[in-house]
Amino acid sequence: MPLEATMMIIDNSEYMRNGDYTPTRFDAQADAVNTVFQTKIDSNPENTVGVMTMAGKGPEVLVTHSKDLGQILQAIHTTSSKIGGSIDIPTAIAIAQLALKHRENKNLRQRIIVFVGSPLEGQAADEKAMIKLAKKLKKNNVALDVVSFGDGIEEPGEEGKTILRSFVDNTSSGDNSHIVTVAPGMRLISDALISSPILSADRLSSIPDELMEGADAPSASGSGAVNDFEFGVDPSLDPELAMALRMSMQEAQAREAAEAAASSTSISQPHTDSSATQASTTLPTSVTAEPTDSEEEALLQQAIALSRGDHDIEMDTTHNEDDVPMDEDEDEEAAIARAIAMSMQPPQPPQKDEEAKK
Amino acid sequence: MSSSKDMGNTSLLEFLDLQQLNCLNESAEHPFKAIVASKKRNATSAFLQSDADEQLLLNIAFNQSVRVRSIVIQSDELSTAPKKLKLVINRSNVGFEDLEDADEPDVAQVLELSEEEVKEGKQVALRFVRFQKVNSLHIFVVSNRGGEEETRIDKIDVFGIPVETTKDLSGLHNQEHNH
Repeated sequence: MPLEATMMIIDNSEYMRNGDYTPTRFDAQADAVNTVFQTKIDSNPENTVGVMTMAGKGPEVLVTHSKDLGQILQAIHTTSSKIGGSIDIPTAIAIAQLALKHRENKNLRQRIIVFVGSPLEGQAADEKAMIKLAKKLKKNNVALDVVSFGDGIEEPGEEGKTILRSFVDNTSSGDNSHIVTVAPGMRLISDALISSPILSADRLSSIPDELMEGADAPSASGSGAVNDFEFGVDPSLDPELAMALRMSMQEAQAREAAEAAASSTSISQPHTDSSATQASTTLPTSVTAEPTDSEEEALLQQAIALSRGDHDIEMDTTHNEDDVPMDEDEDEEAAIARAIAMSMQPPQPPQKDEEAKK
Repeated sequence: MSSSKDMGNTSLLEFLDLQQLNCLNESAEHPFKAIVASKKRNATSAFLQSDADEQLLLNIAFNQSVRVRSIVIQSDELSTAPKKLKLVINRSNVGFEDLEDADEPDVAQVLELSEEEVKEGKQVALRFVRFQKVNSLHIFVVSNRGGEEETRIDKIDVFGIPVETTKDLSGLHNQEHNH
């Protein structure tokens, strides 16, 4: 869980009057600032966030190390009537660094988040100077995130590198700095940020670790498509749904394993033995398990029922306890008990979906 | 160890305030905490390494005032061993840019470590009079011996005596229990 002091540098240059983001670039940015603030504060109550502008007459610090949303909103409101001038990234970062250096709690890691919506000019357009600045930030243990939008989106130079990207790459130490580019369109900047690596560490901290173990694998191996996530849902966007889906998945797997074990002990045929081992190998790697359509449907139903805490949805409740002796059922029982405890439901007998599978 | 005979020769690492301890330009894989977390001289294979360039800034905070007599800085690799040091005391918000151009008397002491000192971890005597009431000690490693991009420190130790006027209150709790 990151323990951080964050300084947000917002762009208030003339370019912010542009209307290619809804409603205007500045308002879209203000919304994003709000989202970042909330996420940072929610992830750890000791975190602090500051805001400063980098255009106008010159870079100006508006809020230092605050946990109060009111101050942030007020700062943005004041700035909204002071749009003008052009941005000065190097000076702004130097000032932000100074503000972070004098933080009260030295245990907080330092982070600067820069919103860039105007074209780079002057020193900021010089890659060498920016890399030098990046090295200085890295040396002082300052992490840096860049959000580029509007005119801040650069044409990639040779080797597909942009100045801002190499700036971030040179600051990054242990993958702690990221750049996010938000193209104009209907998508809000704040929405793009929430699912981006800039905020993912803060968001994931609110989800228990044991439920997150498999979630990283698809996104790491994936090509970026939406349906790369397990169950087709981004776990960071809707943690509760992801949790419910995962629990029902684990439950089904536990039941499958228990049944396989039961049938292999009672009949002890070589065929069922192999199916038992198959079931047990699929158990730990939940990502690779590919349920059939009907099975998936049953899982989904169960997940919906669990997430709603709704008893009225009756799924296939045919009990075949005769096939499965109770003492072989322990894994399943434990899994269900855990699931029930988590979804605050009163205990109920284990539900079977044998029919759905066959 | 604390008898009057070897006064000034006890390790002050036991008075470290680990919460306040930090190091600028340390690499993520080889942080400063790894070599002092035990509050003894490092006996493990862990070491401290610099990240972006060869400089390091160790901020060592103590949980009470101490008098520092000498320090030990040991590095297993001679070419990446620290050479020039600047020592500062009791400056909580110190950064590289503050110390880059500073010289005595703005910093408490500037010294260069000899090959023997870093190799064998010999005690380097400091100007005792300038380290009489140390709450935090900041060691700025300016350069290393081989002019390499990375500086490595394997062991670090600080010797001296705690200032008698301050008492360690952590023992108080136990005493009350005995009554």
